[in-house]
Amino acid sequence: MPKGFTLWFTGLSGSGKSTLAERVRDVLLERGMKVEVLDGDEVRTNLSKGLGFSKEDRDTNIRRIGWVCHLLTRNDVVAISAAISPYKAIRDENRKLIGRFVEVYCECDLDTLKGRDPKGLYEKAFNGEIKNFTGVSDPYESPEKAEVVVNTASEDIDASVSKIIATLEQLSYIPATDGRGYSEDEEESIKQRLKDLGYI
Amino acid sequence: MLFFRGRKKRRVCVVGLDGVPFGLLKRLAEESVMPRTAAIIREGGLRQMRASLPPVSSVSWSCFMTGANPAEHGIFGFTDVSRDSYQLRFPTFADVAVPTFWDTLGERGRRCAVINQPATYPAREIPGALVSGFVALQLQKSVWPKTHLPALERMGYRIDVDSRKAREDADGLFDDLEATLKTRRMAAGYMWKQESWDYFQVVVTGTDRLHHFLWNAVDRPDDPRHQRAMDYYRRIDDFIGGLWDAFHKGRSADREGEGFMLLSDHGFGALRRDLRLNAWLHDNGYLEYVKDDPASVADIDPDRTRAFALDPGRIHINARERFAGGCVDAAEAPALREEIAAKLRALKFEGEDTVAHVFTREEAFHGPKQGLAADLVVISRAGFDLKGTTKGREIFAESHFQGMHTWDDAFLWTLLPAPESPDISEPAAAILEWLAK
Repeated sequence: MPKGFTLWFTGLSGSGKSTLAERVRDVLLERGMKVEVLDGDEVRTNLSKGLGFSKEDRDTNIRRIGWVCHLLTRNDVVAISAAISPYKAIRDENRKLIGRFVEVYCECDLDTLKGRDPKGLYEKAFNGEIKNFTGVSDPYESPEKAEVVVNTASEDIDASVSKIIATLEQLSYIPATDGRGYSEDEEESIKQRLKDLGYI
Repeated sequence: MLFFRGRKKRRVCVVGLDGVPFGLLKRLAEESVMPRTAAIIREGGLRQMRASLPPVSSVSWSCFMTGANPAEHGIFGFTDVSRDSYQLRFPTFADVAVPTFWDTLGERGRRCAVINQPATYPAREIPGALVSGFVALQLQKSVWPKTHLPALERMGYRIDVDSRKAREDADGLFDDLEATLKTRRMAAGYMWKQESWDYFQVVVTGTDRLHHFLWNAVDRPDDPRHQRAMDYYRRIDDFIGGLWDAFHKGRSADREGEGFMLLSDHGFGALRRDLRLNAWLHDNGYLEYVKDDPASVADIDPDRTRAFALDPGRIHINARERFAGGCVDAAEAPALREEIAAKLRALKFEGEDTVAHVFTREEAFHGPKQGLAADLVVISRAGFDLKGTTKGREIFAESHFQGMHTWDDAFLWTLLPAPESPDISEPAAAILEWLAK
């Protein structure tokens, strides 16, 4: 059974992708998995150095990240991408390339993002000092079928991490270790009940 | 009679009748077995409703409580299969991946009291109170908040009838059904008063149990137990009438009945033969076991199995990309799926067609968890009860059960806006909209 998969975070700048990626990475590392995080900002300083923010350059950047995730995934590594990845078509292209692909949409409204704005980017974007800023002067296409949607404006970070881990367990990409299931005795009793009604 | 009352806060009361088909409810109302129900549905609003795919309570009630498709809420049956070991696993309430409409009501400051809703075990926090239904094991883990536990224990609350005994003692089943219904009514009366609710729901599951074991007693007037079965329905009718009266007692804000709802989660019909899908798959060369007496699908031989079935009519292709031991390449899967579907559509018993529909995963399920769903969902024709058992090599087998679930003849009675031919995931939106005003 392959062990690798790609966890693809997408969402606007400041929506919590990198923070959640790190938290999920820590959980997966604790469970003994090999994990690599490809953070959007870091990628732009090495793998995609020199690329700008035109649609063409953004697409190239996301395709490059997708290609690295593909290589990691097929070598049993959990690849976590945390880049804005604004265009649905390119995300879907990566999904198709990688196969074992879990999309996590970090949903967050603009007012909350403006309020956070640790680097002052939204303020600059709204003042016209930064061009092609996703969500302000450049489009962001929300996913329609993300495996996980976390609302980082309203959800507690622990709740978002749990939601992501629970989905990975349900998809059998990681083994379940929680208390969500039944004990062996309970399972036997449930089996019996289902048998008594002809359900199994 | 229609009349209007003062401007008071809107409330909703839902009575679920597990496994009661549209035709039976209509008949019992028309034949005066259920006079209170007859009076309620006389105003119109009774519809035939489609249950979930597959039509089992865990999936159907999960669709009802979330207003979502199984590929959104993630409950596909009473069982799932491990992608690594093919062992069966049993989803819990915690596996429901989207909020229930009770949670949504809570966000709007509304409170719910929900009693005996299947597929909610172990009980978790909801905005209000919850008493879990089937497959609930212990009362202690079935009650939220725990403050209600002592009262339920004192009244001798019964989660369910003893289905094991029912097989051997048909008359004893009636006693058990009556006793269980009695404590259900007591629990409903208790919650009605104790909880400050905006949404109230109670589900009667004894109907499903009666139909499984003694469908003939319900359906055939010449059956020796027919009158006892009708007496049980009279008791249910009295329960519904009591809730109706209490609901309208000086508190309803709008047209009489508008916040009241009756529904079932699937239909029922007479069972002639079990249709064992794994025996059929084996017979047709799609499935092999590693032992002669397989206990479950965990005993399939993954290298020689191209497809296997889970209850009740879920066929999984043993695809490499989905199962640890998968042997079917992604490129081959669609043709294999179509081949199996075509053969099943042509499957006959004594010259008679046995399969009504074979839905593909894409036809049946819509949502992010579509990849977890079975590749095919089979719906049988009347009388043929689909089974995912690995026991027995006979495809059509006798059964000790008299009744079987059916898909397209659940019922919904509501005066709220609803489609003429609704699906069980649709009432949730109507309830939320009604309570939003």
